[in-house]
Amino acid sequence: MKAFLAKRKTILKGVGWTLFVVLAIAASVGTIHAASGIEPMGMSPLMFFIGMLLICIAIGVFAVLAGVGGGVIFTPLFMGFTPIDSYIIRSTGLFVAMAGALVAARPFLRRGIANIRLLFTGAVPYTVFAVIGALLAGYIQTHMGKGGEAFINGALGLIVIGIAMLFIFFGGKSEYPEVSYMDKFSAKLGLAMPYYEASLGKVVDYKLTRVALGMVLFCGVGLISGLFGLGAGWAMVPVFNLVMMAPLKVAATCSKVMISLGDTAAVWPYIVGGGMFPLFAVPSMIGLIVGTLIGARLMLKVKAGFIRYLIIAVMLFSGIRLVQKAIGMM
Amino acid sequence: MTEERQIPKPLLSGIIYGEFAYWIALIGMGVSIVGIVLYLIGINQFFDPQVVLDGLFAGKDTTVIWKEAANSEVMHGHWYLQVLAKSDAIAMLGIGICCLAGVIGAWGSVVGMIANKEKPYIFLVFALIIAVILAMSAGGLISVH
Repeated sequence: MKAFLAKRKTILKGVGWTLFVVLAIAASVGTIHAASGIEPMGMSPLMFFIGMLLICIAIGVFAVLAGVGGGVIFTPLFMGFTPIDSYIIRSTGLFVAMAGALVAARPFLRRGIANIRLLFTGAVPYTVFAVIGALLAGYIQTHMGKGGEAFINGALGLIVIGIAMLFIFFGGKSEYPEVSYMDKFSAKLGLAMPYYEASLGKVVDYKLTRVALGMVLFCGVGLISGLFGLGAGWAMVPVFNLVMMAPLKVAATCSKVMISLGDTAAVWPYIVGGGMFPLFAVPSMIGLIVGTLIGARLMLKVKAGFIRYLIIAVMLFSGIRLVQKAIGMM
Repeated sequence: MTEERQIPKPLLSGIIYGEFAYWIALIGMGVSIVGIVLYLIGINQFFDPQVVLDGLFAGKDTTVIWKEAANSEVMHGHWYLQVLAKSDAIAMLGIGICCLAGVIGAWGSVVGMIANKEKPYIFLVFALIIAVILAMSAGGLISVH
C-alpha cells in the first residue's frame, strides 16, 4: 500500500511539472510579439534609471529568496524579454554578479567559512576559462553577426532551461557530506580548513575529494560564465558540495568569493571592448545590491518554497523565449 | 566530524582579499553613483543619454550606439580615462574601480601569503596565476580588439 501511494505521489508530481512546463511554453509563446515591440515611448533617461533600479531591486530580492545570484536571473531575463543587444546585457550581467560577490566576500573570509585555499584551487581553471569565454563572446560579436547572436541566444536558452530543470529535479544538497575515500591528489593538496559553525557552536572539520574532477568541471563553468555573462553560483555550489564534498556552507561561500575573482577577469574584455554603458550598468548594480540586502532581511519572514517555484517559472519563460529568439534569427 | 575546540583563525591571505575587495568595490560604487547623478542632471555628458536609450531599445549594437551617442568609433581600452571630465566617464571610472577591487585583492592575497609564509606553497602559485591573469585582463592585454 505504502509503495503504491509513493508511486502515485511520484506520478502526480511528474504530471504536475509536465503541466507546468507546458504552461510555461504557452505563456512564453504569447509574449514573443510583445517583447519584440518594446520601445522607449518617450521615456526619459531618469525614468529609465528609476525603472531599471526598481526592476533590479525586485530581481535581487527574488534571487536571494530563491538561493541564486542576481546575475543568473538578470542576464536571461533581459536577453529574453528586451531588445537590448546581448553583448551589452552580458557585460552588465557579469558586472552585477561580480559587484555583489565582491561586497559579500569580506564576512565569509573574515570568519574563515570561505576556504581561501579551496577557492584559489577552483579559481585557476574557472578564471582561465571565464576569460576564454569573454574573448569568445567578443569574437562572436565582431565576426559572426546574426548567426553568432542566434547561437548565443539559443545556447543560453538551453542552459537556463537546464538550470531550471536542475532546480526541479536535483535540488538535493548535503549539508555535511561524509568522505569515505580521499584520492591521492586531494590528500596531497591539503585543502581542508576547519571553520567555526555558529549554528552548531562547534568547529567543523571536513575532508575534500575528487579535486581534479572538480577543477575540470570548473573549466566548463568558467566558460559558461564568461561567454554568457552569468554569475555561476548555481553550478559552482554543486561542484564544491556534491563532487568535492565540501560542507554546504563552505561550498556556498567559496562559490560567492570565486565569482568575484573569475568574473573580474571576464568583465574587463567587455569593458575595454566598449560594451558597457553606465546608464544601464549603474542602476542594475545598485538595484541588485539593494535587492539582495532587502531579500536577506525578508528571508526570515517569507516562505522561500513559493519563491523558488516563481524563479523556476521565470527561468523557464526566459529560456524558452531565448530559444525562440534564436530560431527566429536563423 | 565535529568536535569542540578553539575557534580556528582564518588565513591572513583570505582576510586581505576580503578587505580589499569590499572597500575598493564600495569606493567604486560611490564614484559611479556620483558620476551617474551628474550624468542624469545633464552635466558634461560624453554619451547623449536619450540616444543611448533609443539605441538600447532599438537593439543596436555597441559600435552603432557609440557612433550615434558619442559621435565616435568605439574607443577600445580604458576610454573613460581619456575623457574624465565627462560625467558618464566618471561613472565608468567608478565601474572600473569596482572591477579593480578583485585585482588588487588578489595581489594583496599573494603578498599576505608571502608575508605570512603560508604553507603549502602550491596555493601561492595558484594565487599568483590568478593575480597575473586579473592584472593582464584589467590592463587590457587580454582582449579581442
